[in-house]
Amino acid sequence: MSRTPDLAVRIGPLRLKNPVLTASGTFGYGDEYAHVLDPKGLGAVITKTVTLKPRAGNPPARIAETAGGMLNSIGLENVGLERFRREKLPKLRALSATVVASLGGETPRELARLLEALGGEPGIGGFEINFSCPNVARGGAIYWAHARRLERTLAMLRPLTRAALIAKLSPDVTAIAELARGCEQGGADAVTAVNTFVGMAVDIGGGRSRLGRATGGLSGPAIKPLALARCHEVVRAVSIPVLGSGGIMNGRDALEFIAVGATAVQVGTASFIRPRAAAQVVEEMARLLAERGIRRIEAWRGCLEPAASPAPAAGRRA
Amino acid sequence: MSRRERARPARGGYRPARIPVATAAAPPALAKTAWRQAEARVTLHRDAGAGHRWLELAMPRAFPLPGAGQFVQLLLEAPAPVLLPRPMSVALVRRAAAGPVLGFLYAPVGDGTRALAALDVDDRVLVLGPLGRGFPLEVEGVPVLIAGGRGVAPLLFAAETLERQGRRCEFLFGARDAAHLVALAETRRRLDRMGGRLHLATDDGSRGVHGTVLELLDRIAPHLPAPRVIHACGPHPMLAAIARWGLRHSVPTFLAMESIMACGTGVCRGCPLPRSESERRRLSRARAPLPSLYGNPEFAMCCTDGPVFAAHALDWERLG
Repeated sequence: MSRTPDLAVRIGPLRLKNPVLTASGTFGYGDEYAHVLDPKGLGAVITKTVTLKPRAGNPPARIAETAGGMLNSIGLENVGLERFRREKLPKLRALSATVVASLGGETPRELARLLEALGGEPGIGGFEINFSCPNVARGGAIYWAHARRLERTLAMLRPLTRAALIAKLSPDVTAIAELARGCEQGGADAVTAVNTFVGMAVDIGGGRSRLGRATGGLSGPAIKPLALARCHEVVRAVSIPVLGSGGIMNGRDALEFIAVGATAVQVGTASFIRPRAAAQVVEEMARLLAERGIRRIEAWRGCLEPAASPAPAAGRRA
Repeated sequence: MSRRERARPARGGYRPARIPVATAAAPPALAKTAWRQAEARVTLHRDAGAGHRWLELAMPRAFPLPGAGQFVQLLLEAPAPVLLPRPMSVALVRRAAAGPVLGFLYAPVGDGTRALAALDVDDRVLVLGPLGRGFPLEVEGVPVLIAGGRGVAPLLFAAETLERQGRRCEFLFGARDAAHLVALAETRRRLDRMGGRLHLATDDGSRGVHGTVLELLDRIAPHLPAPRVIHACGPHPMLAAIARWGLRHSVPTFLAMESIMACGTGVCRGCPLPRSESERRRLSRARAPLPSLYGNPEFAMCCTDGPVFAAHALDWERLG
C-alpha cells in the first residue's frame, strides 16, 4: 500500500484539504457533532441554510422513511440572519474548520442583503446559495428553475464577496445543464448537483400524506443513481467545479461522483445515521485510492471511460 | 386481583406512603455533547407479552449512562431493511463490570422494530445515546408515575432511580386490557422492592379499575399529601389528558413524548412538537434565550428539547 494520497482540491478561491463536505441541513452549525468528529478533518462544513428572517419551519410530520431513503419537509427552519451572526458565527469560527455558509432567499434582493451582511465576515470561506429547497412555498426550487434568473442573481451577488460562491441546484428540472451554465455565466465558482428530489409517501390507513405537507425532499441511497446522472450531466455542461451530492454513504459512493467529474462531494443523510459518516468517507476514500496506487485525487477525477458516456446532449456547449 | 393491585379509594382510609423530601439530585444532563455511537451486543431478547419484546444490550464500559426518560437510537448493521435508526426509551440501566447493560421494552409494529425483533443473542447493534432530556426526578413532591401500555418502559427506570434516592412512588398503570399491561410482573417486582404502590386500570375492566388512568388519578390524588409531581408516558391522547389534569390542579407534570425522528440529536429538525401559546409568547420576546440549538418559538424538537416536557410547554389541543 502506498502513502496517503493527496486529497486537496480547489473550489474557486477556496482550497480544501479534501473533497468531502457536509451537506447543508445535515450537520447543524458544525459544533453539534464536533465531539465525535473534528470538522477540521473535513474539506468543509456547510451550515444549515440561513434566511433573512427566522423561520419556524413546516408543521409535523417532517420525516417519513421510504425504501432506501427518507423524505423530509423541514421548511428551512433557522434562526435568521441576526442571530446567525450574533450566536452561530462565533461558534463556527471557533471550530477552525473551513466553513461554507448556506444562504436562502425568496428573491435575488434577499440573497443580496444576506451576502452584503455576511460577504466580508472573516471565518466564512464560501457561500452556497440554496436555489433548490423543495419544501417552501416561495423562493424554492421552482422559483429558481430559470437559467436567466440564476445568471442575473449570481451576477448581482458576485461583487459582494471574494469568498467562493457555490450554486446548489434542484434535480427536478427539465435541463439541469442549462441552469448550471446560467450559474457559471453569472459568476458562480462552483455548482452543487443535487439537492433532494421531490417525493411523496401516503399513509393508506389515514388516506393522507405521511408528511405535514403533501410532498417532501427525498434523500439517501435511493437517490444516488439519479443524483450521479445529474452530476454527470452538469460536469459536462460547465467548466467550473461541480460538487456531487445525493445518497453518498461511504468512500465508494464518493469516488463514483468524482469519477464522473465532480471535484468534491457532500455527505448528508449518512450523518443522521452515523454522525461520523463524513470523516469515514474521507478515510475510506484515501484507502481506496491508495489501494489503486493513485496518489492524487485529481488523477481520479473524471476518470470515467468516455465510451461509457452518452452522446453529448443537444444543449451542450461546444 | 391481589390486594396490592387494587386502587384504594376512601374505603377504610387511604394511608399515603411515607415519602422523604427529594434529595439534592442533579438535574438530568442535557446530553448534547455527551452522546456517543457505540457497538453493543445483545445479551437477552425475549417475549414480554401482548406482542412486546424485552431487549438487553451490553454496552462498552465508556458508554455514558442514560437517565430515566432519555432515549437512544438503535441502528442495525447493514444489510438492514431500514435506513434510519429507531429511537427507543431506556427501561433499565444495570451497571456491570464489563460495562453497563441497557434494557428496552418495545413492540415490533413497523419495519424497523420488526427487524430489531429478529436479533439474536450475541448479535450487534449500533447504539447512539444517551439522547434528550429525561424526567426531572429531582423535583420535590410525592412522585406519581403514570404509564399507558408500553409507555411503562421509561417509568420502570424512573421508579428505580427514585428508589435510589430513597423516595417511594405511586405507580398508576393502565392499558386497554390485562394483556396489554406489559411487563407487569417486572413492574410489580421493582415496586415491591422500593415499597412503591401499584394501581392498575384497564379500559375493559379485565384487571384493576374499570376505566382509564385518569379516572384512577382522580380517585387517588385526593389521598396524597401535597406537593405531588407527575411523570407520565403513554399514547399522546392520554398524555394530553394528564397534562390538562396537572395544569388544572397545579401539580407539576412531566410527559415523555414520541415522534418520528431522523437524527435524534437536534440536527435534522425533523421532530417538531407545537409549543403552547404561553411558551410561544415567552420565546418570541426579543432577547429571549434560545430554547435549543436553533431556537424556535413555534416548535420544540422532541429529541433535544424533550422527549420529556413540562405540561405547560406544549399545545395539547394540537397533540391530543
